[in-house]
Amino acid sequence: MEFVVNRETLWPIVGKVIGVVERRQTLPILGNLLVKAQGQQVRFTGSDLEVEVSAECAADVSEEGETTVPARKLADICRSLEEGADIRFQTKNDRCVLTARRGRFALGVLPATDYPTMEIEQGGRGISLPENVLKRLLEKTAFAMAQQDVRYYLNGLLIEFQGEDMIAVATDGHRLARYKIRPGGDFGEGRQVIVPSKTVLELKRLLSNSEEMVELLVGAKSVRIAVGHTTMVSKLVDGRYPDYERVIPRSLEKTATLDKDELKGALSRTAILSNEKYRGVRLAFGDGVLRLLAHNPEQEEAEEEIESDYSGEAISIGFNVAYLMDVLNAIDAEKVQVQFQDADSSSIWRGRDSDDETYVVMPMRL
Amino acid sequence: MHLPRAGAFWFHAVMSSPIRILADHLVNQIAAGEVVERPASVVKELVENSLDAGCGRIEIDVEQGGVKRLRVRDDGRGIPRDQLALALSRHATSKVAELRDLEAVGTLGFRGEALPSIASVSRLTLTSRAAADADDADSAWEIGVGADGRLIPARPAAHPPGTSVDVRELFFNTPARRKFLRTEKTEFDHIHQLVRRVALAHPEIGIQLRHNGKDILSLGAAGGDERKVLDRLNALLGPDFAEQSLALEESAVDLRLHGWVMRPAFSRSQPDQQFFYVNGRMVRDKLVTHAVRQAFSDVLHHGRHPAYVLFLDTPPRLVDVNVHPAKHEVRFRESRQVHDFIYRVLHRRLSQGTLGVTTEAVPDPTPDAGPPPAQIAGRPARAFPAVGSASPPRPAEVRDSRLSYQADLAFQRPRAGARSEPSSDPEPMAPEPASAASQSMPPLGFALGQLNGVYLLAQAVDGLVLVDIHAAHERIGYERLKRSWKSGEVVRQPLLVPVPVQVAPREAELFASHAESIARLGLIVERLDAGSLVVREVPALLRQADMERMVRDLIADLAEQGRSTRLEEAIDGVLATLACHTSVRANRRLTLDEMNALLREMERVERIDQCNHGRPTWVKLAHEDLDRLFSRGR
Repeated sequence: MEFVVNRETLWPIVGKVIGVVERRQTLPILGNLLVKAQGQQVRFTGSDLEVEVSAECAADVSEEGETTVPARKLADICRSLEEGADIRFQTKNDRCVLTARRGRFALGVLPATDYPTMEIEQGGRGISLPENVLKRLLEKTAFAMAQQDVRYYLNGLLIEFQGEDMIAVATDGHRLARYKIRPGGDFGEGRQVIVPSKTVLELKRLLSNSEEMVELLVGAKSVRIAVGHTTMVSKLVDGRYPDYERVIPRSLEKTATLDKDELKGALSRTAILSNEKYRGVRLAFGDGVLRLLAHNPEQEEAEEEIESDYSGEAISIGFNVAYLMDVLNAIDAEKVQVQFQDADSSSIWRGRDSDDETYVVMPMRL
Repeated sequence: MHLPRAGAFWFHAVMSSPIRILADHLVNQIAAGEVVERPASVVKELVENSLDAGCGRIEIDVEQGGVKRLRVRDDGRGIPRDQLALALSRHATSKVAELRDLEAVGTLGFRGEALPSIASVSRLTLTSRAAADADDADSAWEIGVGADGRLIPARPAAHPPGTSVDVRELFFNTPARRKFLRTEKTEFDHIHQLVRRVALAHPEIGIQLRHNGKDILSLGAAGGDERKVLDRLNALLGPDFAEQSLALEESAVDLRLHGWVMRPAFSRSQPDQQFFYVNGRMVRDKLVTHAVRQAFSDVLHHGRHPAYVLFLDTPPRLVDVNVHPAKHEVRFRESRQVHDFIYRVLHRRLSQGTLGVTTEAVPDPTPDAGPPPAQIAGRPARAFPAVGSASPPRPAEVRDSRLSYQADLAFQRPRAGARSEPSSDPEPMAPEPASAASQSMPPLGFALGQLNGVYLLAQAVDGLVLVDIHAAHERIGYERLKRSWKSGEVVRQPLLVPVPVQVAPREAELFASHAESIARLGLIVERLDAGSLVVREVPALLRQADMERMVRDLIADLAEQGRSTRLEEAIDGVLATLACHTSVRANRRLTLDEMNALLREMERVERIDQCNHGRPTWVKLAHEDLDRLFSRGR
C-alpha cells in the first residue's frame, strides 16, 4: 500500500475517528486505525467494538491495500507536522513508513484482516434530517444522561419515534431532559431505541452546524449515521427505558418567569458559598422576587435577589446548582419559565414559549 | 458359624434392646466428646483447675504434641486424700454448691466434668498434697484410673504441696478421635497458643511449658512489677507490642475495660493477636468482636486486623458463662450496654492516639462512673496494673495516666499540661532532658525543614519527629469534614426515577423495621409489597452510589448483627476522598511557619496517628535510637 495525502486533508479525518479509540484496551488491535486505500480514496476507521467511526478523503494512491496503524501515534504525528506538508504512507516489512518533508516515521502494523469491523445490519428505518437539527437534539439532552450507572439503560439517550415526532430523552435518575423535533414524515407506531452515551457524545462532537443532510438508519440492534464522508455505526443498548412520561409532572399550578442570564449569574455566585460536595442552593419564590440562598459548613452565607413575575404564596425549594446550571446552559431562550408545586415535588424548566423542550429537576431536601 | 451369630446379635441389639441407664464410664466418654476435643483442650481444663486452686506457678510438660503424655503441675491448694476419688467422679466440684452459686460463677471451671471426662479417654494419674493447713498436709497421695474406668485406690506418693495431673495416651480407647488428631506439631501449636492466652491474662503466675523435654516458654511471675508485665507482653506478642500499643483503662457502672490495643498503624494481616478476656476468661464472642471492629472502622484499612489484649471485668451475675461446654462464648445480660461500652472506650482511646488528643465529650449513658467492679469474690487479685503505672520509661511517650488526660482536657495542651503535674508523672526517676525547655515544647516539637518535599522533620523534646505531610494533612481534613458533616443537618436528594430492589419478604420485613433509623441518615426506602422495596430518596453525599447494593448490604448487616454502620461508612468514604483531593500534595514547598502550624494542628486532631488508609502519619526517632545509630553513649 502506498499513497500520498496532504496534512490538511488528513488531519480532520484522523481527528474524527480518533475519538472512539480508547486509551487503554485489552485487545491491541483496537488501539489501531484501519487504513484502506482504494481508487483515489483512503478510508480510516476507528472502533471500540461498541461504536465505529470511519471517514474517507481523497489521496494520491499509487498502490492499493490496507493495514492498521497505532491510532494515537498517528494522530500525534499528524498534529505536530508542519502545515501543508505532504505525507507519504508506504507499507514494507511489517512497518508502515510515514515520510513528510525531511521526517520519517516507521510505525508497527497489525494485519487489516484481524480488524473487527461492525457488521452492516440490513433493513431498518431511514431518516434524513439536517445536521444542525440533529446536533441541537443532542445538545439539548445529552448532558442529563447517566454515566456508569448500574441501571445500564440510563447510560444512553432514548430516541423515540412517535407519529411525526422524534423525541430524545435522557435521565440519570435525578433530573430529566426531553426534546422533541419533527424531521418530517410519519413514523407511525411508537418505537424506542437507546443510543449508548459514548456514541452520543462522539456524535455530538462530529456534527457541525451546517444544514447538510444526515442519513440515519435505525436497525433493531444498531444505528448507522452518515454525515458527508463520515459514517458512524453504533450498537444500541439492549434494555427497556423507564416510562419517562410518568416522571414528568402534570398540572403544576405555580409558574415563574426569570431572566436566564441573571439567574445563571446569581446561581454561580451564591454557589460559591454552598456545600462543596452537593452544592445546595435554596430558591425562595416570593412576590415579584426570587431570592437565592446558600450556606456552607463553615457557616458562611450568600444571598442574592433577582426579579421574577411570580405572585402567590411564598415557596422555597432547594436545588443542586449543578443540575440547574446544566438546564440553563441547554436553554436558548432569554427567559426561562419554571413550573413548580411545593418544596418536595419536582419542577419543570423550559425556555419561554419553547414547548419542545422539557427539563424536570428534583428538589433537594436541604 | 460365627457369622450368623454376629448378625443375630446386631439385629437383637438394634431392634429390641431395652432402655437402660448408661454406665458412668460411657457417660464420661460421651461428655469427653464435648470437652476434650484435642490435647489442647485437656491442657485448658487442667490449667484452669490450677488457676482456680490459687496457684503461683504452673509447669506444663508435653510429649509428642500431648498425645503421649501431658503433665500439669501447680503449687496450689491441693486436694486432701479423702477427696481425691471424688475429684474424679462426675459432677463433683468444689466450685459451686447450689444454683445461686451458678448465677455468680467466679471460677473458671464449675461443671465438674473435666477430670472424669479426661480420665475416661486416657490413663490419668492424679497426685496431690494439700496445702499446709490441711490435716494430712505432710504427705502426698496418688490416685489413678484403670483402662476400664475403675479407680485404683489411693496410695502414698512424693509430691510438693500442690497438684499434678498426669495424662498419658490420650484417646487410647477412642480410635475415632485419635484419627482426627493432626500432626504432633499442630497439636503442640494449639497447646502453645492456649498457654500464651493464659499467660497473658495471669502475669502474676509463673508459667513453664516444655515440649519433649525442651523449654518452650519460661515466664517468671511478674509479682506486680509493670516492667515484667510489659516484658511478658513482648515475649508473648512480639518485641514491639508494648512500645507500639496504647494502654487503656476505663470504668463505668459494673463494667471495667483495661488492657492494650496496638496502634492502628501496626495492624496485622491476620486476626491472630486478638485476646479478649471476660473476668479472666478468654472468649471469642461475636458481640465483642463486632464492637472492637466497629471502633477500629475508621482508622484501619479494609482487610487489616487490629491486635489487642483486653480485659473486661464485670460482676459475675451479669454474664452467663454456662453457654458453651468449652466456655468460648458468653452471654451478657445487658449485651447492648456492653457492646456500646467496649465500642465507646476503644473509640475514644483510638481517637486520642499516642498524643492523647482530647475528644469532644461522648455522651455517656451511664454518667456516674462509679468505682470499678468490686473484686470478684473468691478470686485472687490478678488484674493487670492500671494504665498509668504501666507506662514504659521513655519520658516523652505520652502514656500517662487517665488523670493527666483530664488535665489535658483543661489546658488543651497535651504534653505540657501533663508534664507539669508531678503527681501524674509515671516515671519520676526518668532523666529529665532540659526540663525548662521541655515545659514549653509541644509534643511534636518544632519544624526543622522538609525532606524530599514529602516529609517534615521536627525537633521534639526527646528526639526527631518525621511526619508524612500529605498523610497528616489528609487526616486533618478528613476529621474536619466529618465534624462539620455530623454537626450539619442531613441533606437528602429525592430521586426522579426511584430505584426498585427485589428482596425476600423476610428481608423486606427486617428492613422496614429499621426504616426509621435509616431514614434519619437520609435514605428513604418504601416497601411496595411483600418482597419489593423502592429507594425514594438518598443522602445527597451518596448521590452517585449504587443504591441497590447499598440496600442489600444493609439488609445483610441487619440480619447478621441487628445493626449496620454501612451508610455512615459510605459517607465517611466520600469525605475521605474529598479530604484526599484537598490536602497538600508531595513536592509542595512549605515554610517553617506552615510546617509548625501543621504540627500544632496534628496535636489537636483525633486519630492523627494514622492517615485515612491506616498508614502511620508520623514516627519518632528517640535520642536513644539516634545514639544507637552512631554507637554513642555506650
